[in-house]
Amino acid sequence: MGHPTYPRSADEAPASTERWTPLSRIVHLNDLDLLTRETTDPASLARLKKLGLAAEDTERLKAARAQAAQSVGARWLVAYERARQRYGSAVAAVRDRVCLGCFVTLPTTARPRSGAETVTTCESCGRILFWG
Amino acid sequence: MTLGTAPIGYDLSLCIPNLKAKGKESALAEMVSAAHLAGAIREPDLLLELLRVRERVGSTALGKGVAIPSARSVTVLAPRLVLGRTARGIEWGAADGHPVTLIFMALAPGEWREEAFHGLIARAAAVARLQRNRHRLLSAPSPEAVAEVLRGASA
Repeated sequence: MGHPTYPRSADEAPASTERWTPLSRIVHLNDLDLLTRETTDPASLARLKKLGLAAEDTERLKAARAQAAQSVGARWLVAYERARQRYGSAVAAVRDRVCLGCFVTLPTTARPRSGAETVTTCESCGRILFWG
Repeated sequence: MTLGTAPIGYDLSLCIPNLKAKGKESALAEMVSAAHLAGAIREPDLLLELLRVRERVGSTALGKGVAIPSARSVTVLAPRLVLGRTARGIEWGAADGHPVTLIFMALAPGEWREEAFHGLIARAAAVARLQRNRHRLLSAPSPEAVAEVLRGASA
């Protein structure tokens, strides 16, 4: 397997992800997958071009995505990919205890303790939850 | 839920009339920080990294001194436009080679569909396309005046 080409130079160095929590790494991966879809889907790409926004270097995005996936770790990557395959987006924000993926109200016990590095999933849809 | 047509408020705390940043990455960081302080986003590090990756995929400079960096993420609590202004200009890799003086950062929640997200970007682009609007935004004396211009231009 080839070494990722991202970043290409020191001034492009990504933020230090070592201190990111497991959930932060998963959310970043989800962000990159949303961006990948946006910059590869033909209809979406056509809209971007019409707006005058360039998205030509998707290889860099692929490399960044591969790096992010590796940082998530095998255990959560399986759950992530399963939810992504099923719903398109594997992570759902939570507002007022409601999963914005399936709109089910979550039990009060579902929220992880403040500062805990626990990753939680929606009991109803299985998406990984981002408590906002 | 009519996410795609939700009104975008022009929150004055999301307008930076005089960016301190001298480079693209520091300008993005300054604007993300303002959005975080205003309570519009969570996890600013994640959002900043996403914006940085987006810029590497292709420049978000439209030309004529305007850039529209954009991000769709679950870290964004509600759709927002953050406006940054800089008199000195920032090199943004624009096709016309002009440094950027007006930066519209378009932020949308992760659950937004691409069409709605691009609608938000299109609104910013529509405002920025007119020379009259760009001039008014650059010469507005206060964040209140900037917000007024945005409201008038996108009405």
